[in-house]
Amino acid sequence: MNRSTTVLMKIEESATVLSLLKSDLLPMEVVLSQFNSKLQSSSHLAVCNSLSMMLQDQKMLCGTERIIAFGIIYHCYSSQKPSFNPFLSEMISAACNEQLEKSERAFLLHLLQWNNYNNVKEILKQSAVDYIRSFDPSTHDFPELGELQREYGDKADTGPSSHIFADYSLKKLLHDPDVPRGCDPNSPEFDVQPGGNPRIGSGDRDEALSGLLENSTMGGLAPRWIRPCPPRYPVHQSELLWIDPDNKHELVWDDKMCADTSRGATVRDLLVKGLKMTLSPSEQEDITTELTNDPKLVYNCGITARKLPQLVEHNPQIAVEILTKLNNNKEILDDFLAALVNMDMSLHSMEVVNRLTTAVELPKEFIRSYITNCISSCENAKQQDKYMQNRLVRLVCVFLQSLIRNNIINVKDLFIEVQAFCIEFSRVREAAGLFRLLKTLE
Amino acid sequence: MDSRDPSSAVASDAARDASLLSEDAAVLSVTSTLAKSALSCFQSGKFEDCIDILIQLDQKQHNDPKVLHNMAIAEYFKGGCSKSKKLLEELNCVKKQSEELASAAREQVEAVNPGTNVSVSKDQFDSTVTTLNIAVTWFHMHQFTKSSSILEPLFQNIGRLNETIALQICFLLLDIALACHDAVKFSAVFDYMDKAFGVGFGSHEENGSTMQLSSNQGSKTSSLLSSSVVADTVAESSLCEETLDYDNVLAAEYDAEKRMKSVGHIPANNLLKTLSERSFSTADLKLELQLYKVRFLLLTRNLKLAKREVKHAMNIAQKRDSSMALLLKSQLEYAHGNHQKAMKLLVVSGIHKEAGTSGIFNNNLGCIYYQLGKYEASSQLFSKALRSCSSLRNEKPVKTFSLSQNKSLLITYNMGLLYLARGEPLLAAQCFQKASVVFCRQPLIWLRLAECCMMALQNGLLDRSEIRVNVVGKGKYRKLMIEENGHLELDGSTQCGKLSLPLARACLSNGIYLLNESLLNESKSDRESTLSVGMNETKEASSADHGEANTNSDLKEAKGGLNQDIMQSSLSAFKDIQSREKLLIKQALLANMAYVELELENPIKALAAANSLLQLPDCSKIYVFLGHLYAAEALCLLNRPVEAGAHLSAYLVGQDDFKLPYEQEDFDQWRMHTSSECEETLDSSTGNARDSVFLKPEEARGALFADLAALLATQGHHDQAKAMITHALTLLPNNVQATVTAVYIDMMLGRSQDALTRLKQCTRVSFVPGRLEVRAS
Repeated sequence: MNRSTTVLMKIEESATVLSLLKSDLLPMEVVLSQFNSKLQSSSHLAVCNSLSMMLQDQKMLCGTERIIAFGIIYHCYSSQKPSFNPFLSEMISAACNEQLEKSERAFLLHLLQWNNYNNVKEILKQSAVDYIRSFDPSTHDFPELGELQREYGDKADTGPSSHIFADYSLKKLLHDPDVPRGCDPNSPEFDVQPGGNPRIGSGDRDEALSGLLENSTMGGLAPRWIRPCPPRYPVHQSELLWIDPDNKHELVWDDKMCADTSRGATVRDLLVKGLKMTLSPSEQEDITTELTNDPKLVYNCGITARKLPQLVEHNPQIAVEILTKLNNNKEILDDFLAALVNMDMSLHSMEVVNRLTTAVELPKEFIRSYITNCISSCENAKQQDKYMQNRLVRLVCVFLQSLIRNNIINVKDLFIEVQAFCIEFSRVREAAGLFRLLKTLE
Repeated sequence: MDSRDPSSAVASDAARDASLLSEDAAVLSVTSTLAKSALSCFQSGKFEDCIDILIQLDQKQHNDPKVLHNMAIAEYFKGGCSKSKKLLEELNCVKKQSEELASAAREQVEAVNPGTNVSVSKDQFDSTVTTLNIAVTWFHMHQFTKSSSILEPLFQNIGRLNETIALQICFLLLDIALACHDAVKFSAVFDYMDKAFGVGFGSHEENGSTMQLSSNQGSKTSSLLSSSVVADTVAESSLCEETLDYDNVLAAEYDAEKRMKSVGHIPANNLLKTLSERSFSTADLKLELQLYKVRFLLLTRNLKLAKREVKHAMNIAQKRDSSMALLLKSQLEYAHGNHQKAMKLLVVSGIHKEAGTSGIFNNNLGCIYYQLGKYEASSQLFSKALRSCSSLRNEKPVKTFSLSQNKSLLITYNMGLLYLARGEPLLAAQCFQKASVVFCRQPLIWLRLAECCMMALQNGLLDRSEIRVNVVGKGKYRKLMIEENGHLELDGSTQCGKLSLPLARACLSNGIYLLNESLLNESKSDRESTLSVGMNETKEASSADHGEANTNSDLKEAKGGLNQDIMQSSLSAFKDIQSREKLLIKQALLANMAYVELELENPIKALAAANSLLQLPDCSKIYVFLGHLYAAEALCLLNRPVEAGAHLSAYLVGQDDFKLPYEQEDFDQWRMHTSSECEETLDSSTGNARDSVFLKPEEARGALFADLAALLATQGHHDQAKAMITHALTLLPNNVQATVTAVYIDMMLGRSQDALTRLKQCTRVSFVPGRLEVRAS
């Protein structure tokens, strides 16, 4: 693209080139061989580039200098066919430019080896001054621009950068004469007079020439495309990371290490089974014996408060057994009882509670919540079918009667609640019975 | 039981057990005593003693995988939790060994008792704990995907596991899902936990009919309440006067602390306890699950429900530790854009008082300040957060897993965003590179890194925005040499460290790759999820069928279903949000890619990127504009001017006028990550207007004029080009590129005097005298 590398000439190089341009009395051959010896081929392109820019300005270089400049451009690429010269198009357009001296145009045609212009070598033996002096314009005819372009244009190498911006890049100097207003900048009065004081607006052509040589770069002026940089992706409030502490996930010590795992294994396996189905009597017996043999087994038999409801549903006896064994540990038992209160009301859960009441002394608070829960379950069952509700009510009544008869609960504590329950469900025979029982106790 | 006689199997088992017992009884009692003392040494942090005992055990029980396992853990703690890689190797080795032993034991049993599926040695060679520990280690190394894939098989069979282990697995999975923003995974795990551990969460407990679970809660409650009241009032007094200075907040903090001390109580918060230390009473678990539910809702940006649920969490937490609930409440207010309230709640949560969580406090406060546009305070807070993280890491002795609270990589990411916002690409890139350990699977971090490169490029190439004119010669020979070549300073990018355009390109292609991958997975999982939902429905139907005895079951089912409904609906809403965001990121990635390729002189690739950008459905108008512009330029560089013109003329009105390529609203919407059909609108003033600057719509129109002018100029239509560039310069009066094009056109039209005037009038031209000066500059 137009990001060409900067090819600046060294100061010594530009001085050399300038002096060569001025050697108009030496045979051009000699000038060119000096060019070869003084400048490395790596800087040829830069030199040609600067020269071609200055050649575009018709007033920068004088006639002999222009001849030598074109000679250098030709010479740099003379080992190849003229059509490979990167400055071919400049040479062609100069050759056809009517404003230029005919001698110069003829010289270019020689360089291009156009038709019968074929004695380059002869011409280069002359000095630039001699060539111009001996030039006879009448013996030459000049081709049209189109003609030349057809001849060389197709073959012209467009160079390494061949996209439209680079192709159309323009190498042009802008005149910006710094002379007092109203003066003709072309008048010789502004040239530096040897010995005289420099006046405003005067300038030294050589100084400008070496400045141009030194400052020129490879690039040209091309239309520029506006390429906006994409906007930065906005930071959504969720991209900024708000941090919550997470649970501290610790490495876990394996406490099964060297533990006597065989002892409880049978019980644990049976209990896992017991969460899903009713165990056979012999299996139940096995569990009971194991639990009795090892009083600590109950704590790691695999049954936890959260698994209790399943066990209650399938093996109420075992559940009672476990709960009874847990009686020594208040905290764990509380957890288990809470699970009982919160589980769905059923025949089995009532059976468990009922049997538990006879086996151990349960916290009053627990029994109270359990009964409240039973009653509200019956009430909530309204939305479902009548049959289910009646069944549940009957169960609760029998359960309560049993509790009362066994003196597990003090009726006074729950009197109002139970009475209201009996009245609400008076259509159920058992509820009426319970009501009568309450009355007798009153 | 099946046809086989069950009692005989059990009997033979028992017989073998008995024989084993008699033989090994002596050894067992010795080893189990040793095992117990090893555990107690471990628990009290005496790792060397612990290892000594374990070595003794290993000599007795040669190559017992469980002994080796515990040895590896103890060694790890002894080494200050630094050799995670080594630990992983050892654990994997143990796991393999116990699996081999287990299968060998199975074969042996089968040989003795063909056909019976007894599980005598199940516990002995069970590698669940080892697997969990491997996953935990990966988790702390921020390798969430790995950790998750290791846990996956355990989660599949979670019903069979011991409850404590099961809970640990579930919580780890939840935290992984949150860290990966994986709402789908989260809801799967949460669903399970809700069903398995959440039973009995029903209405009873809320009615207050359950008994008190522990008696000592009463006293704790009162002191907790009083302290949080103090903090509350302090925070209120400091924040009521609208001043949100960092110092003020800190002063309030100190004040609160002082008063708290006079009360004589600092709230002990639960956050620092480890999972195993915490006993999971039903009530604790309930709070924990509720908090996770809120975090899920926050993750899925269901703010309305999050508000309701966080209130619920506060109610549950009242009796116990409420710091986490307050923190989540603060996050909720932050998400709502109520920054003052968020700040107040953050202070009230009290997490800054514990060394383990003060880094988190500072980070979160830093986020709030960032949103307020106060970058200075924000940066102070982030660095403070990083400091407290690193001091935590160096703490000795390592009793708890200090790595687990090491959030420094997340904070580093925030820091990166901050540096980017402050225009410091080098520092930002360093942060993102560090944080990429955690985020390397997320496309966004790659976009951010690419942005760092591009910002560095722009910062390093300020010269480019000027036209340099060499002034050569004096007086009548004075010439202006406008060999305009703005890219001279490209070498300047070396000063930007490792940031470069090729790096930007690599980052962007990473991002695009990851995004495509995740879009692919998304469409795949969509198909799968519809499948699994179908399965759930049949399951529910069947469970409703045989619920005859359970009168309450329907009620509870409905409640569970509600929970699930909430999760499902916010999940699907979140999926929409995510896919919309992915599309936005994809647009950004492709646009940046096209730009970078143009900068790197690869018009073919640039064109490809721009074309895929233009093909995206529902592309933002801003990116459509960029896509057209980049495509047109690439086509010009490929010598296809006609197609280039077609891209530009998409915006043509009539022959020679352009419409606005986008409106200011489009830009605002894009900046807020919203689209017109999204009802979630945030106050745009709260966002960071500085975050992304871009051409105003009128300027974009100017760019269209200028680019068409450039194109026409190359085609030799200088007169038309002149008209276009005049329009462009009225819209973009000082634009360098437009001025250059204008000068070019003037000169092509032979009006060098006009060109001269233009150059002299443009304020962004620097006239550079002579050569030596150029070098010196």
